Amino acid sequence: MNEHDVMTQLRESFSGLHMDTPVAEVFARGRLRRRRQLAGLTVATAATAGAAAVLALSVAGPAHTRSANPAPPGRGSVKLAAFSVARGPGGSTTLIMRNGPKYRQLDPAAVRLALARHGIPALVTVGSFCRAAHAAPAGLSRVVHPGAPADGSDAMVIDGRAMPPGTRLSIGYFRGAVKIALIEDTGRVSCSTAAGQHAGGNTAIRGG
Amino acid sequence: MGHQQDEFADFYRASKDSCLRAVAAVVGDRKLAEEQVAEGFTRAWAAWAKVRTHPCPRAWVTRTALNLGVSRWRRLRREVPLADYDAAAPARQADGVDPDLIAALRLLPARQREVLALRIFLDLDTETTAKVIGIAPGTVMAHMSRAIAALRRDLPSAQTKATEVSR
Repeated sequence: MNEHDVMTQLRESFSGLHMDTPVAEVFARGRLRRRRQLAGLTVATAATAGAAAVLALSVAGPAHTRSANPAPPGRGSVKLAAFSVARGPGGSTTLIMRNGPKYRQLDPAAVRLALARHGIPALVTVGSFCRAAHAAPAGLSRVVHPGAPADGSDAMVIDGRAMPPGTRLSIGYFRGAVKIALIEDTGRVSCSTAAGQHAGGNTAIRGG
Repeated sequence: MGHQQDEFADFYRASKDSCLRAVAAVVGDRKLAEEQVAEGFTRAWAAWAKVRTHPCPRAWVTRTALNLGVSRWRRLRREVPLADYDAAAPARQADGVDPDLIAALRLLPARQREVLALRIFLDLDTETTAKVIGIAPGTVMAHMSRAIAALRRDLPSAQTKATEVSR
């Protein structure tokens, strides 16, 4: 019995095994998995047409930013040196990103994870900003509102329930600004490292 | 999304049985293998934009399914002694597969079973198998050679069958 015989016997022995699980069940499990990941995200009604907007938040003042550790499990508040995520009024979420010369040490994955636990899907980048390659989904002004900044931080209140279906937030964190836009989950995005480059219909919340 | 769903469904239909056989050969339990492979495909669908560009998506699913088995084993290890788990496993074999073959496979080290499964059921070459598992091609060849040698030694029924055929 040579190597070929052993391999042939193995193949033949297992040839009677067939996967019984229908592909529809895989899709259903995928949907369930996604719902769990989004953790309570309530899908909003279809977005109305409107102008694309990018919010630019200015720096409130100098402050040191340290690298963030991975966020702990759970949906409660996450307070780290570089940023914090906390439940806000009316089911909203408050994101505070501390600004300063060490902004590049911010861990975008930790921010994304913390927001996901509040049901807010996001693309978080440091030193660059991604926006929809074509028309941005409408409704950003209903989703993000400027928060009360403190201690040289950028604060924003995010209403995850107001996000149009199939969209996520793009948050670009720069030394001098935090830029936000809505992008589609599956749409193409265009990323830039220029903090001052804006799409049409920009809204400056403070000074930006 | 519709196009991606069709594409994934085609991939699923073409790959599900070979993935199941590969995982069943490693875990030796058909039901458990199907559960792990289904979860592997679920994760592949969740990351389809990435997985579809993988050099061998079937290998991605199989590897993910096998990793799920490792996670399960680690959970069980915290709850019951390993010896108990291994002792209970042979009672739940892959349906329709020669019990002697399953027993012989279970005697192999896990890495050898994994190499064997990827090479035989997914038809991966040495280089691809090495990349999927994350070991050197030479190590793949060594595992394969040892696994085959062990099976030739531990499969008396197979030797008997081979002898009968040659007569």
